[in-house]
Amino acid sequence: MRTRSWVAVCVLAGGLAFFLSGTVQAQTIKIGINAELTGDIPKVGEGTKYAAQMWLDDVRAAGGLAVKGKKYPVELILEDNESKAESAVKAATKMITEDGVLVMVGPQASKQAVPAGGIANNYKTPMITPWSTNPDSTKNRPYVFRACFLDPFQGPVLANFITSEFKFKKAAVLYDVASDYPKGLAEFFKKAWEGLHGPGSVVAYESFTTKDTDFSSQLTKIKNSGAQVLFTPQYYNEVALIVQQAHQLGWKNPIVGSDSWGSAETVKLCGKDCYGLFFSTHYAAAGATGATKAFIDRYKAKYGYVPDDVAALTWDAMHLVQKAIQDTGGLTGDLKKDRENVRAAMGRIKKFKGITGEMTFSGGGDPSKCAVIVRISDKGQFEFYKSACP
Amino acid sequence: MAGNLWKPYSRVPLLGWFFGALVAVTLERLAGAPLAQFLGLQKIPVLFGFSDMLKTPVSIPNVLLYLLAVYVVPAAAVTRLGASPANGIAAALYRFPMAVTAAVHLALLYAVLHVWAGASDYRVLVLRLTLIAVMLTLSLNVINGYMGEFSCSHPGFMALGAYCASVLTIGLFVDAELFGAASLSPALGRFLFPVALVLGGLLASFGGLFVAIPSFRTRGDYLAIISLAFLFIVKSLIENLEFVRGPRGLSGQPDWADLPTVFLWTVLCVWSVNNFVRSTIGKALNAVRDNEMAADAMTVDTRKTKIAAFLFGAFWAGVAGGLFAHVMRYVNPGNFGIQNLAEVLAMVYFGGLNSVYGSIVGAVSISLLGEALRPLEIFKWIIIPLLLILVMIFRPTGLIAFRDLDVASLLKPKANPGEGG
Repeated sequence: MRTRSWVAVCVLAGGLAFFLSGTVQAQTIKIGINAELTGDIPKVGEGTKYAAQMWLDDVRAAGGLAVKGKKYPVELILEDNESKAESAVKAATKMITEDGVLVMVGPQASKQAVPAGGIANNYKTPMITPWSTNPDSTKNRPYVFRACFLDPFQGPVLANFITSEFKFKKAAVLYDVASDYPKGLAEFFKKAWEGLHGPGSVVAYESFTTKDTDFSSQLTKIKNSGAQVLFTPQYYNEVALIVQQAHQLGWKNPIVGSDSWGSAETVKLCGKDCYGLFFSTHYAAAGATGATKAFIDRYKAKYGYVPDDVAALTWDAMHLVQKAIQDTGGLTGDLKKDRENVRAAMGRIKKFKGITGEMTFSGGGDPSKCAVIVRISDKGQFEFYKSACP
Repeated sequence: MAGNLWKPYSRVPLLGWFFGALVAVTLERLAGAPLAQFLGLQKIPVLFGFSDMLKTPVSIPNVLLYLLAVYVVPAAAVTRLGASPANGIAAALYRFPMAVTAAVHLALLYAVLHVWAGASDYRVLVLRLTLIAVMLTLSLNVINGYMGEFSCSHPGFMALGAYCASVLTIGLFVDAELFGAASLSPALGRFLFPVALVLGGLLASFGGLFVAIPSFRTRGDYLAIISLAFLFIVKSLIENLEFVRGPRGLSGQPDWADLPTVFLWTVLCVWSVNNFVRSTIGKALNAVRDNEMAADAMTVDTRKTKIAAFLFGAFWAGVAGGLFAHVMRYVNPGNFGIQNLAEVLAMVYFGGLNSVYGSIVGAVSISLLGEALRPLEIFKWIIIPLLLILVMIFRPTGLIAFRDLDVASLLKPKANPGEGG
């Protein structure tokens, strides 16, 4: 009896397998999403996932991705990299060698994007990281691109803005020495500022370590240094603490920040203290027009909150990918050739109108694009103030 | 029924199992792809089909069928039919010196892994990281398991080894902007890579002194805090060292940590740790763990013992760190933090304290489980800790705790049924 039932199970399973194998699909375009869904920065992964899914919905609604008159179905291969470098590498290897993705989007944070970029480059697979600002992600890697501007650009933009807007000559910097993004940006800002106003014009250059919450000693030093403006390229949780503590200590001058301020949480945590302050970023949600507004409204309606810069940059990255695939002039079906063609097409993209600004790739993997200076309005919204182009 | 099925297998020597596995993986290489296609799978299920099954539950029966047809049935058949020849060969091998017997077994094990991993680069990567996890777990087990101190400094040791080896290989063999032109030819690098790893291990050992010396006076929670402080010191140090590029991380390590290299280092690590803990000093470690005062009274030099254990554990953590840096080809101080510590600790306590077997089982199962369950995203972080809790409830010292790895009895032919038990 026992044997017979086993045989029956096997036959059934085999039959089911045969049935399933009958549904052979047409060539599918697979796009890998390597996102930080769990770990330290799950909000970043969530924004990535949502923006990518919105793009997929559009493509599905259009009946597939049209490449040279032919419509291809699109599949997203979503992998969680746990905000860990080794998992990002594993996920990248898996989607490139196993799933056979044409292009990989992500990882977002530099800690993951730098090693994953190495993998993509080794396997000659185009990769675009929407958010990573570390120069190493794309350096000497013809197959790796990014959708955001770099810190060596953002630093001078802010230095120029403060100089022309307030006519200040003495600046102070407060940054996290243990985190690569603030540290790099602080250095670039200092260099640019001293280039404009001569050595010694950054009168206070103070640092702290990730997860510090008391900045009073640094801020007292900054206040006593005679600085006219404070630049702090920190993330939203620290921004709130720094700004509030500075005001408690009697600091009345402007405080200026960078694109890491561009999270909905900044104003929520900081409150009125942050009203009227400026920072540079990729896009301004309040007062946005055209495609940017359409994206924000749709995202808000679907997921219930205003998208932050990660989601907007991911959205642009997905469209860059789409444009590059469409520019190849037809897919050959040979993954190796197609990847090469997509890479070449992406490197040729000129004047791409993204929701975070116009992008042009000239040679390397870094786009030249404009930064936006945003003012936090008296209602706590991020208002477009000025744009600064290279 | 199950007993009857199992009975013939109880007298299969290790050699027989390796033969069976080798046949199964070779079969997969030869016939895996067509079989997978026949079963409606797009490709060979790469990591025992976990990600396929979790992403598309419909394919579960097909994946199971594939696993049965490719791994289980052939391996079981070959192992069973080949039991007596395998016993014969094992008996013949057993007459040679132990080194030869062990080398033959290891060569066979490597062949199995090589053929299995050859099917996909993803398998190679997972395997290399798993082997590195085995080294780390073993080295931590020396301190936390055998000596019974709760040390939290392991990622720090690993970071020291990783950075030391990376600086050496990048500086000497790779033309990085950082350190100027490469001074030695890359051809030489492969031979000097082990030297870089060993130097990394020695630097980690030196770091180990900073935890070992306080351990003369403190134990338990206090030492745990000191070792945690050491971890933060190392991390801050690297973050503030500009010549290794601080928090930006160091990239561009040459790709020298391939599968054979990692396998060889892992074997060396298992061998030396196993000998270390079975030696007199290994027994002294246990004595220090159980009762330091009594051990001291019984002429155990507790200071020497502690220093030896810390230096030895830190050395292998450093070597593992160096290999890790060269597998990833990028290191960042953020890689060596609390999360990393939690993972290694979980592997040690899951697998079992005071046991080489346990460390291997713990490292392999947590690594593979972590990789296999990744499609579940956030639920993975519920399932794995839950498993850990269950293990702690039912086996408070870990799955396979307090067991010696006796290589000789492992490699012995099993002629008499029932002897193994």
